Amino acid sequence: MAEIKLENSSSDQLSRAIEGISRRELLKKGGKAAAVVTVSSIFSPFFIRTARAATKTLSFWQFYAPNGASGLQSKWFVDCVAAWNATHDVKVELQYVPNNEYMNGTKLQTAFASGRGPDIFIISPGDFLRYYNGGVLTELTPHMEEEAKKDFFPNVMETRMVAGKIYGLPMEVEPMAMFYSVKAFDEAGLSEKDVPKTWDQFLEMAHKLTKGNRFGCLFETTPGYYQTFTWYPFMWQGGGDIATPDGKKSAFNSPGTVQALKFWQDTIKQNVASRNYLGGGVWDVVANLGSGYCAMQNVGIWAVSALRENAKDFQYGVFPLPVPPGGTPKSDLGGWSFVANAKGQNPEAAAKFCVWALGSMQEDSIQRVVDWCTKAKSDVSPRKSALERGTAAGGYSSAPMKMFKDEIFPTGRGEPRVPPEVYKTISDSIQACQLSGADPKKTAEQGAQQIDSFLAGYTGAPLL
Amino acid sequence: MDDQARLSVDGLEPPSGGGARRRAVQRRGRTYWTRSRKEALAAWLFILPDFVGLLIFVAVPMALSLSLGFFSVDGFGGYKFIGLANYNRMFHDPLFLESIEVTVVYVVCLVPGLYVTGLGLAMLVRQRIPWIGVWRSLFFMPYVVSLVVIALIWKVLLIDKIGFINQMLELVGFQGRSWLGDPKLALGAVLAVTIWFLMGYYMIIFLSGLQEIPREYYEAAKIDGANPWAMFTNITLPLLRPTSFFVILVSTVAAVSGSSAFDLIYVMTNGGPANSTSLAVFYIYEQAFKFNNYGYAAAMASSVVVILLAITVALFALTRGGRFHLG
Repeated sequence: MAEIKLENSSSDQLSRAIEGISRRELLKKGGKAAAVVTVSSIFSPFFIRTARAATKTLSFWQFYAPNGASGLQSKWFVDCVAAWNATHDVKVELQYVPNNEYMNGTKLQTAFASGRGPDIFIISPGDFLRYYNGGVLTELTPHMEEEAKKDFFPNVMETRMVAGKIYGLPMEVEPMAMFYSVKAFDEAGLSEKDVPKTWDQFLEMAHKLTKGNRFGCLFETTPGYYQTFTWYPFMWQGGGDIATPDGKKSAFNSPGTVQALKFWQDTIKQNVASRNYLGGGVWDVVANLGSGYCAMQNVGIWAVSALRENAKDFQYGVFPLPVPPGGTPKSDLGGWSFVANAKGQNPEAAAKFCVWALGSMQEDSIQRVVDWCTKAKSDVSPRKSALERGTAAGGYSSAPMKMFKDEIFPTGRGEPRVPPEVYKTISDSIQACQLSGADPKKTAEQGAQQIDSFLAGYTGAPLL
Repeated sequence: MDDQARLSVDGLEPPSGGGARRRAVQRRGRTYWTRSRKEALAAWLFILPDFVGLLIFVAVPMALSLSLGFFSVDGFGGYKFIGLANYNRMFHDPLFLESIEVTVVYVVCLVPGLYVTGLGLAMLVRQRIPWIGVWRSLFFMPYVVSLVVIALIWKVLLIDKIGFINQMLELVGFQGRSWLGDPKLALGAVLAVTIWFLMGYYMIIFLSGLQEIPREYYEAAKIDGANPWAMFTNITLPLLRPTSFFVILVSTVAAVSGSSAFDLIYVMTNGGPANSTSLAVFYIYEQAFKFNNYGYAAAMASSVVVILLAITVALFALTRGGRFHLG
């Protein structure tokens, strides 16, 4: 029987080889080859890994649209990258991914699944464990000066660190608070001195402010990790938590959790909060508070710059989140971080870029953080030096920013980092109580069981 | 005389062994490529581009998805063979079982809803009334608009208190409701929008079926004294059976696979409130792209494909392959 030897054969050899076999034999061998190709293509994601040539351009994915509503923010990114590119051989190229696609879509997930993730990208603490446990975060500590490490606030850094090593550098700190409409307060005969300090006072005030087409207050109602982020402070205020300090057992079934679930439920049951929202979400202050859809809105510090840029004439005020009886004031410190892809084209250069941009003791690095937090956006700085400099430059002199910096930020705790399975359980618990009228006690029990069942088989970095 | 000698005498070919062989092959070739074989080849060549397309874009991804179900996939290049663990997990996952329940309610409401509205509209626009082209276009128009745009518009129309629907209800003395924020109402609201969006498409399909029914049947029935309802049940419905089969099959597949629901749910409710609009396809999406459980999502997707196949086979069996011979 003739054998087909295709390796290193010239066209003559090939034709001689083909001449030597019958048509039936050719069909048989062709069929086998096709079967092999089909099977290998089906299983290719499991077995085939292609090597990429070394490159001198790193991709940087983020969601601040060029020439979009947040022009100053995209300019900050452009300037940052331009400054790096002017002084380094390895270049960085910005790539804009629409906000919704970045946070809730498939762009990042499919890119990483196919081994084509960006070299540099931004993540929130809510997604830290997904990427850390996936082994795609590069350690940034070796590229940082000791002084710079100490310059970051510890409560901001803890959720970006594992075993004392830094894997993400925050560009901002975004505490949560309540924003209110001065016009709505005036109409209800209320003033700044009436702002509620307790949950009971808050509900009472929400009743007074609910009128006609306006709701008294607004909390997040869309399921997902943003909703859990906004709800955590209410749980913490009463001493509740997601897990025990070692992160191995659930602590979700606690009086603190139950009362927080009930508080959000009461706002809906008493018809003082909307089950829905206008605009992009409850983070969107202009579409909701600014339009008069609600009188008080649970939103973060970013709302200050959003109102400054998009609703200049809107009169508003800010107050810290009200607390339950015997509770302690708490806020949740959100914010995005620069991270470097450990499976990217050049993880070391990517890590150096992150540190150079946000985590060096160089003047331009500190100033970059100041500019982002006080000019491009309205955030508390994650660095002590930048906060001092920003304060000296008047970045925190307005009443809302001063309130955030002096009163709300010190009560803040870093946004928890939990695996998606855990925040899904918490989100489902909030949804069930808030919108479906479920019993908060039973819901907390069920949630705790689900979290325990997940943690029993969990082997990733600790939950915080 | 043997073959070779005869060829030589006829002067057609030199008496060589090679020539005879070639002629024999040619003769065989002539008999092999009969007219029917040539037609079959032409047919296969016409089918080939579609076949290759389906193989690459449907069959291979399906096989890949099926095989992924046997792996634990972390979404960062890590694959671990875990046998049937994903399938086992599926039957103990309350959220998946809940999503199947939601899907069943969705399918049971959507398919008849589309059938009735599609057929109703088709009957309506079959009438000889002024501006019939305009009416037909208006009913079909939502179908050509992007689903995301449809979802955004309806989200605003259905918003609590200030939405157009609630304002209209309050105008006529009813209390407004939270159509997308109340778990008891949200699936109904999504279903209503889905039916509104798709009914024009099914109207066109029914219209073409109705136009195939000879008018003589109706005229004969009228002479025999049949009323409109009798004509509808005894002429229209029986003769629409092939169209009905197509509509039921296509709408069922669309409903189970969530092809038209996904975008609406993603924009309007994000699976909420309290998972009340989390169809199986939406939960599968969440598992794959929000939780990085690609293997588990593939296992669930495979089971949905099996359910779809079972429904399709059952429909074919019930309708005798869609032939609908009467009697």
